[in-house]
Formats: sequence, structure tokens, C-alpha cells
Amino acid sequence: MFDIYQPPFTIETEDTVITVEKHGDDLIYKRMFHGEEETELLLLNNDGDILINPIEPVNLPKKLTSFLLVDFKRPALIRPGDRKKIYLTFPVEIGVFISDKSGNHEVIDTFTYSKIKFTLYGSHNQGLICRYWESDVFTELPQTDILYEGYIELDIINDSSHMMEVTKAVLNAYGMKIYYGDKRLGMKASMRIINKLLAETDFSTYPTTSRFKRSMELYTSRKFMPIGTKGIMEFGL
Amino acid sequence: MNSTAITKYIPALSDPFLQIITVIIILFLTIVIGKAITIYLQRSLKDKMDKEHLNILLKVTYYGIIFASVIGFIFPVLQIDTSSLLVAGGVLGIILGFASQSIVGNLISGIFLMIERPIKIGDTVNIDNNLGFVEDINLISTIIRTFDGLYMRLPNETVFTTNITNYVANLGRRFEYVIGIRYSDDADKAIKIIQDIIDKQPFALVEPAPMVFVDNLGDNSVNIIVRIWAPATEWYDMKKELLWVIKKTLEKNGIEVPFPQRTLWFANELNTKKTNTYNDDNRIVPGTDRT
Repeated sequence: MFDIYQPPFTIETEDTVITVEKHGDDLIYKRMFHGEEETELLLLNNDGDILINPIEPVNLPKKLTSFLLVDFKRPALIRPGDRKKIYLTFPVEIGVFISDKSGNHEVIDTFTYSKIKFTLYGSHNQGLICRYWESDVFTELPQTDILYEGYIELDIINDSSHMMEVTKAVLNAYGMKIYYGDKRLGMKASMRIINKLLAETDFSTYPTTSRFKRSMELYTSRKFMPIGTKGIMEFGL
Repeated sequence: MNSTAITKYIPALSDPFLQIITVIIILFLTIVIGKAITIYLQRSLKDKMDKEHLNILLKVTYYGIIFASVIGFIFPVLQIDTSSLLVAGGVLGIILGFASQSIVGNLISGIFLMIERPIKIGDTVNIDNNLGFVEDINLISTIIRTFDGLYMRLPNETVFTTNITNYVANLGRRFEYVIGIRYSDDADKAIKIIQDIIDKQPFALVEPAPMVFVDNLGDNSVNIIVRIWAPATEWYDMKKELLWVIKKTLEKNGIEVPFPQRTLWFANELNTKKTNTYNDDNRIVPGTDRT
């Protein structure tokens, strides 16, 4: 599904049908789910290509936060000064982009097959509303369905002088770099634990596998400078 | 440093032409310095203050510098005795003080509101029993658009001294339903159904966790309390939507919300007799009980 398409075209995946029809100089974009129309757009004076690829999983059902909280199904313990790579899963959100003559991309539609939940991380007045996702903790690359889940290769570095129990990771969408192949998609991130209440998460600009393609993220296509790309976990691990 | 002290360092100019030239130079330098300071303030505070308040601060700073320069430098050059101005200024200050007591009160309240920031533009608030959205916060007054679309201007003194409830200051907000089910229904099943509905709602927060439990055994129903946390910006839409979804789903699963009812016990058996009634076709509809 994740590819560049030249209108007119129709693709069908997982009960979703995406159709782009040409009407003179204009395009009509339609997305149907279970035979019911979910989105219909008229793209005036447009003949650009359509790009469909995974985007940061924090945009649906509406833009409420830029943070993803991955809740570990079982806590992971790490010794002081140690470093360990683990794998988590994350929900996939799909973005449909249209390219203009100068090669810039604009998002026209977003959808997901994953469950959407939100949670509060930290206190009511200073915490964060985060997109919530519960994930098992894997020590090897997990098997994921590319339309539903991606994987995060998380490098945990315990800079503190105590044994640490990690139960969650808060990740900032402004720093997310999603890479995808034919069957899987992933992100590479790191978590530096400073103390029991404080950790810093960040993303790597390198793909987990060199064969993977870089995704056109929504936050990249919006062309504004982010204030910060790191996730600061200041309300506990 | 008062003006007398400054005067000592400024040579008295007797030539009017020289005085004018000096005044022009001082004014020019003051404007340049004032502009430089305001540009510096604008650059350093533009991310920290909203545009309107920043503009007010910049104007106050700019004209303040010019005023200080006129009193401190230009008056001594022109050999104007500022001590007489102080007396005149004092008297004028008293008059203006009495005349503008409420304005000054509102102004000071406005400054404290800007420092304390209990409300922001766009917030949903209740100020002095006036519910609505904050449209604007000025130095003297705060503008509210009520939920029924009315424009409301509240003096800042009122805003500052009264109770303010800001509905969106915190990230999450809780709402509650009381759902009554029949005594014959399975409360555990009802709780499970309600929990499943909440679990499917994206904006029902995972943490703080929702609570669903039997709260009390009422006169007519078993009352289940449902407490759900939602993002402060979404809670109202969710609250409107969810109750009806719960009601419909419970009914679909055979659990009903009962009407108020009362069981009457009669001391003696009632004499009842069975009569027939007739329908539109004049046919007998048998078995209608009448007391």
C-alpha cells in the first residue's frame, strides 16, 4: 500500500478502497471503508502524484498532542551504567499526500486501522496528554503487520547509579523518523535515563535496516521549525 | 539620581540657539535609545508574551524613556526648574488619582492578571457567574463571549477580585453519569458493557483510569456510577455522546433503565371482575381486567 501512485488509480486494502479519479484538470479523491464513504475531496487544478505512507501516530482522530506514550506490558529492568536494545511496537497511522509541481507534499487524508486511545502522563496541570499504546517488550525484532503496527528499536541507556525499572516511553512526534520496507516499518529511538523520575528520549535519523525507505512524515511536510524534538520524561519511567 | 543631581553635570546654556540644538540632539539620542531598547525587548520577549501585551509593554517603555529624558535632561538644559513641576505634578496627581480611581484599579488588576495569568485568550471560564470563552484580555477590561453568543465586558478589578473557574486550565476533566438498572438485571454484566464502551472511546483517558461501580441500591434501581476522565478540550462532546450510547447498548443486551415504581400491598383482597371491551370492528377483545 505504501507507494507513490499516479492518478487515476484505485487501491484496495483491508476493507479500505482509495480511488483517485481524473476530471479534466481536477482530481477527485475518495476513501471508502466497508463500502461506506469516509472522505471525499475535490483537488482543483491538480495533476500531482499521490503518496501513501506511514506518518507519526499522533494525528487521529484529531490533533490533540504530539506525544506518543508506549506503555510496556511488563516492566524492563536495567542495571546502572548499562545499555540495552529492546523492541516495542507502535500504532500505524497512514497519510495520503499530494505532490505539487515543485515536489512539495501536502497531506490530504489520514487514517488508521489501529485502536486510538489517549492518556495523561504526569500531573494535571504540568503533564502531557499523550496518544496511548500498549506494547509488549521484545528483545528481538517482533513480527508486525505493516498496516497495523510498526516497531521501535529502543536503545535504553541507564546513566544513573541505580537499577532502573522502565514501564513506559514517551516519544515526541516532532523527532520521529519512520522508515518502511515492503513488509515492515520501524523507527530507531533512544532513551537516556538520568534518574528515577527523569529520562530523555530521542530518535535516530538512520533506518533500522538500510533497505528501508524514509517516510514523508506529517511534521516534516508542514515545513515549520519544531521547538524541540526530544521527549522529556520528567514524571517517572 | 534626581534631576538636581543631573543638572550638576549638564552645563547651563544661555544661548537659545545652542539650547535648541542640544534639545534636538538629546531628543534624537533618546529616540534612538528608546527604539533600540524596544527592538531588543521585542526580540527577546516575542516568544514569551502575547502580541498585544508585548505591544503595550513596548509603548510604555518607549514613552517612559522619552518622558524620563525630557524631565532629566531637556528641562535642565532649558533651565526649567523641575521642583515647581513636582508640586504641580503632585496636585495634578491627586486630582487625577481621585478622578481615575476605578481606571487605575482596573489597570493595576489588569497588570496582576497578566502576571498571574489565571486565564488565557480562548479559555472556557466562569467569572463572577458569567460563563463563556475569553475573547480578549486588555489592561482595563476582559472580554468574554458567553455560550449564547453575547459580548460581555468585565472590568479587570471584578475579574481579579472575584472567583475564576477556568475549565481548561488543567489537561484533564472528569465527568460522571449515574445509570440506574433494574434489580433483576446483572450489575456485573452492565459494568462490563459500560467498561467496553469506555474502552472504545479514544478520548476516554487510560490514565486517570475510568471508574464504573455500583454506588447505591436506590428506591427504584441499582445505581451504577460511571466516572470518566477526558482531555479538557474534548470532555463536553464526549459527555454529550456517551450517555445515549451506554443506554442503547445496555438495552440491546437486555438491561433496562427502570421507571420509578412502587409496590402496593393491600390489607384485603381486592374484588376484581373480568370484562370484555370492543375494538373498532365491534369485535370482542377478551380478557381485560378491571378493578
